[in-house]
Order: sequence, then C-alpha cells, then structure tokens
Amino acid sequence: MSRKWILVFALVLALTWTLAACGGQKAATEAPKAEEPAATEEAKEEAPAAKEKTVVVGFTASQTGKYNVPSTRQTTGLQMWMDEVNKAGGVKLSDGTVLKFKAVSYDDESNKDRVQELYTKLATDDKADFLISPYSSGLTAAAAVIAEQYGIPMITTGAASDATYKQGYTVVYQAYTPASRYLTGAIDLLMDLDPNAKKVAFVYENSKFATDVNEAAKAYAEKNGFDVVLFEGYDPDIKDFNAIINKIEAAAPDAILGGGHFQDGSTFARQLYEKGAKVKFISLLVAPPEPTFAELGDAAVGVIGPSQWEPAAKYTPESAKAAGIEWYGPTGEEFTKAYQAAHDGEEPSYHVAGGYAAGLILQKAIETADSVEKDAVLKAMDAIDMMTFFGHIKFDTSEEAHGLQIGHDMILIQWQKDGGKLVKQVVWPKAGATADPIYPIR
Amino acid sequence: MKRLFKPGLLIPIAIIVALAIWPLFSGNSASAREAMFTLIMSMALASSLNIILGYTGYVSFGHIVFFGIGGYAGFWVITHLGWHILPAALLGGLVAAIIAWLLGLAVLRLRGAYFALATIGILEAMKALVINLDFLGGPVGLEMHFSEYKRYGGPMESLWMVYWSMAFLAILVIVVSYFIKTSKFGLGLMAIREDEDAAEVMGVITPRAKTWAYVLSAVFPGIIGVLFFFKNGNIEPGDAFRLHFSIEWIVMLMLGGAGTVLGPVLGGGIYQWLRKTLLTSPIFKDYQLVVAGVMLLIIVLFVPTGIIGWVRTRSAKLRRIFE
Repeated sequence: MSRKWILVFALVLALTWTLAACGGQKAATEAPKAEEPAATEEAKEEAPAAKEKTVVVGFTASQTGKYNVPSTRQTTGLQMWMDEVNKAGGVKLSDGTVLKFKAVSYDDESNKDRVQELYTKLATDDKADFLISPYSSGLTAAAAVIAEQYGIPMITTGAASDATYKQGYTVVYQAYTPASRYLTGAIDLLMDLDPNAKKVAFVYENSKFATDVNEAAKAYAEKNGFDVVLFEGYDPDIKDFNAIINKIEAAAPDAILGGGHFQDGSTFARQLYEKGAKVKFISLLVAPPEPTFAELGDAAVGVIGPSQWEPAAKYTPESAKAAGIEWYGPTGEEFTKAYQAAHDGEEPSYHVAGGYAAGLILQKAIETADSVEKDAVLKAMDAIDMMTFFGHIKFDTSEEAHGLQIGHDMILIQWQKDGGKLVKQVVWPKAGATADPIYPIR
Repeated sequence: MKRLFKPGLLIPIAIIVALAIWPLFSGNSASAREAMFTLIMSMALASSLNIILGYTGYVSFGHIVFFGIGGYAGFWVITHLGWHILPAALLGGLVAAIIAWLLGLAVLRLRGAYFALATIGILEAMKALVINLDFLGGPVGLEMHFSEYKRYGGPMESLWMVYWSMAFLAILVIVVSYFIKTSKFGLGLMAIREDEDAAEVMGVITPRAKTWAYVLSAVFPGIIGVLFFFKNGNIEPGDAFRLHFSIEWIVMLMLGGAGTVLGPVLGGGIYQWLRKTLLTSPIFKDYQLVVAGVMLLIIVLFVPTGIIGWVRTRSAKLRRIFE
C-alpha cells in the first residue's frame, strides 16, 4: 500500500518539477545568451597587435525556484555591463593588454545544496578570475566560504544581510546597502513628517533578510524615542493577514513597518486596504519598488518602500562633485535608456542596477590596480570611494566587518496617484525627492 | 565475522571507497571532491532513510527533520562552546536519536498514510519552533566565523577533513544497513513491513522494533547535518528543514530500490550525478529539471521496485550477490 502512494506522490513531484522548469525557462534563457554575437563583432574590430586576455567572471544564478525573478534581473544587469565593456573594446591596461570579460554561470535552483559545489567548480574547473554572488543572503553566505578559500575576490549583489560580512572574510565586497540600514530611512522620514508620531508596529517575514532588517530598524526606532507597540513575524508562505491586521488595529500605531519579499508584501498591502484598516504611514520591504506592485490599484496608494536604486534617483557627476567624490561609469539616464532599448521600454528594477553596479565595481578595481592579479585588485577594492549611477560605493576595511557597504544609501519611494494613474515617486532623501510624501494615507 | 565478507556488503562499500578516493586521482581534486561529497552524502542519507522506509515500510516524508536537528545541535556547540567538529558531529547524531526516540513513541503508532503525514507535520512544527528560538538565531540562523576553519589547518584542510569523515560515515551506514538486513532484528522489521499484525502474532515486539529502526535511521542524518552545515559555514531553518530535499531522498531510494542495501547507494549516486551533469552541461543546463522530471516518470512507471529490485526479480544468481 505504501508503495502505491509513493508512486502517486512521485508522479505529482515529477509533474511539478516539469512545470516549474517550463515556467523558469523563459526568463532564464533570455538573459545570459546575448554575449556571443557581441564578442565576435569586436574581435574583428580589434587590432591584432594588442595582447588580449579573457577575464572569467563566475557566478550562479537562480534560473529556477523562488529567486528566479530577481536573480534573472541581476544577471541581466551584469551581462549588460559586460556587453558594454566588451563592445567598447574592453579594459586596457598600461602594458597594452586588453581585457575582455566572459561570464560562466550555473543554475543554483534557489537553494543551498549545490552552491558550494558549483562555486568550487567555478573556482577550479572554470578558473574564474572573479566571482559575483548568487542572489539572496543565504546562498551568498555559502558561496563566500568558497571565495575566501580560494582567495578569489567576490562582489555580492542582492545579498544585504550584515552578518555575512562579519565572519572574518577578506575577499567579499557588498554592493547593496546592508540590512541594518534598510528601513532606518523610513523612520527618519516619519520623524520629518510628523514629530508627534510615537507608536510604530513591525510586521515582518520570518526570513534571514527581513528579520535582520526589522531588528535593526526596531533598535533604531527605540533609540529615537519611538514606542514599538507590535513586533510580529509571519511565515514566508502566509496567505491570510487577518489575525495580524486585527492586532495592528488594536495597537493603533502611527506607522506600520516591515514586509519581507514580493508575494507576502503585496498580499499584506492588499488585505490592509480591503479590511479598511486605518493606516497613516506604511513602509514595506522589496515589494513596493517592483513595477508590478501597481497592479494592486488603490491598495498601493501611499505605500512606501525602500529601494536600492530607482531610475529617478539623482546621482549625477554634478552631485558627486558637490560631495567631493569621484564619479565613475554611465549616468542613470544612460543606463535606463540602454536597458529600455533592449527590453521593450520596461523600466529597470534595482536588481538590474545592482547587477550592473557589481560589474562596475569590478571594472573600477581592475583599472585602479592596472592588473587582474588578485592581491592588487583586492587592494584597489579596499580603496574604492566613488559615486556611480547606483549611488556612493565605499567598503568597510576594518577587520570586524571587512567588505560591508558603508557608502551606499537607500532611496524611499511612494506610490502616488497622478491624474488617476499610479506613479512611483521618490520621497526620500529630500535632496533627490521627486514629490512630497502623502501623509497620512487614510 | 563471516557475514563481513559477503558480496552484498562488499559491493556497496567498494563503490563508496572508489568514489571517495576518486578526487585523489583526478586532475582537479577540489572540484571532484565537492561533486563526490554531494554524491556520497546522498547515498548515506538515502541509506539511512532506507532503514525505516525500505525495511520497515514506514514512509517518512519529513526525515530531513533529523538532518536539521542534528545540524543545529552540532553547529551551536561549535559556534558557542568552541567544540571540535568531530565530537560536535557525534552530539548532533545523539540529539537526533533522542528526539527520534521521543517522537517515535508517539507517531509510530500511526500506520501508512497517517504516519507519512505526521512526519511532514513534525518537520513543519520543528521548523516553526526553531524559527522562534532566539538562541538558535531564529529565522536568521547561525553563522560561523571564518577563523573557525583555521583550527583545522585552514579552509582547504577543513573541507578535506569533512569529506573523509563523510566517506567514513557513509561506509558505516552501509555496514549498519547490511547488518540490520541480515539479522533477526531486520527480519522482524521486514515482517512488520509485510503485515504488522501478523508480525506481532509471530512474536515480533513491534513497538520496540519500530522505535529502534526509527532511531537508527535518525542518527546518521543527524551527524551528516553537522558536517554539511559546518562545511557551509552557516545554518538557516529554510535549509535545515527543507521538505523538497527530504522528498528527494525518497526518489533516490525508489530509483535504486527500497529495502535493499545496494539500492540507496546506486539511487543516491545516480540521482545526484544525473542532476549535476544536467545542471552543468551547456546543452541541458536550462532544461535540466525537465529531463530529471521525465526520467523520474519513466522510473516510476516502468521500474517501480528500483534498479536493484528489478535486477533481483530477474535473476536468481544476482539475487545472491546483491543485497
């Protein structure tokens, strides 16, 4: 009897696998393929005299599984950087060597089982010169062990948890603003909007990333005299927020902070609206900056979200000059335009920008080091202090938190109605704001 | 002692030894080591599951719970009390065994589908519990400082040490599995599998036999969990208690042949080798799940007893060689 139903179960499993693979397929194939035609093209243009060296950049991407969407975007961004550099003739070193970049990647299936195996393969079989992290803090933590073991510089993107950078690694560098500073901007904004606001509620996903963010934000709120009236985690697979919304209503906070990833965040925003909960201020992780968040309609109005980057972000060569920091790479406008030209006018999300920024950081370090020799590149990486379209990039070089991002800051966006149409407006930091924030929402 | 020199035991051990020393002879030892680690780990996990699923006929869907519990226990004593990895691994196995014994008292009264469902329930409950335990890091999990590897001579040496421990453990699992299968205790388990009531009438003390089978099948995943997460450098509830991985063990077992000694070794090896080959092949890397899914369907539809089960029903001669 048991055999029969293992059979049934295995059939179901096989079917879901097949379906999952088909679903992930489309997104997966479009991204990494673009490279080859570009490579042959410039091979022709290049003068044969120059010594050419191919630099291998290795990483795993989540072509299947739960991280498929953000990971694919990240890969698209990185690939875009690589194509642009190669098309422009590569990176030229002072000894005449021309560096061309080549990506080698495997599917990590959004889980940790094979991350170390694949990164070891990248480091040894594929002889990767540099590594880029997988998407998500959990997978990155496993990959970092291998990067460190082989001493191959790894730039992490899509991995915001602080803890990874406090484990004594010396070759791992973070492109994103770390989790500890993810939601603190929202609290600054709230203080700016309403000095009388005193009560905040945290409702967050029970995952590594969201917990890190919310615990740091809670500490920050308490330090600034807020009263945390609710601090509640929920399961990542949650479908029904009613019980939590009841608790929120009972606690009557001035602001709701939290969220986790896309699915839960948008469900939470929608159910809050459907239940008619009185919300003055709400800021959720990850979900609001995604363009598809607008599909929630009226439920999206007023929702604030921290974003690593936005097309409207005002990082320019001028602002860099004003801040006394060196400018590097394309402007935000150039980046957005190039992406839109290749993707039917779709707006790039911050995952794309993060992938591109990881490439830029690597390029800058190689140029400064004037070599691909690992120690020289690591030294150049430590010295990076630059402004890019993605924002300010600078790494912590202390022993305790080596590689932690200390330059980059979050941007806060809010969905607002503009003549019946939902638009994403930058509301924080004030200097880069494109609109005044709505407060209270309802 | 005579039982030690039977082909039924020597063949699976020879397979594991051959795979384990392969990295020493291959050009790229690190990459081969990582690949073999996944293979051998899967063989050991599938063989452990075989004790309760294959011999006793109790389908444990949530068996990864012991992998997670052991992993957490071992990881915690390494990071908080500064234990050496080897005693920590043994502790992981011990904790998993104790929890299996306690759980077994309750859930082994259930049969068939009810037991299988209960194991999933236990898995989810344990995950929820760990997420809410602050000293285990809650949803964030625990991380190990990189300098921990220096204690064993550096990260490279640590990974090799974990690898050899894993290979040794896999052989141990096979020996235990073989001895169970050829012992009176194992006969009792198989009687339970065929008809529990009849077994009881025939004099098998079923609650005791089942509990022992459950405990034995939990010890090794507990130890392996510690080795795996030590190698990874961090542990999170999502990875420690991932139902999908647990179901994969069942697939490996079915592929090789449940209730045999050699079956889980072949099944675990072939399954992981196939997945890895597809995953890293330039042609199939985008289609690997489709291919794996189709293969699984074929196996389930045409060879439901697994490779070894199929071979054993075809040939009386091979039946004597393959256990």
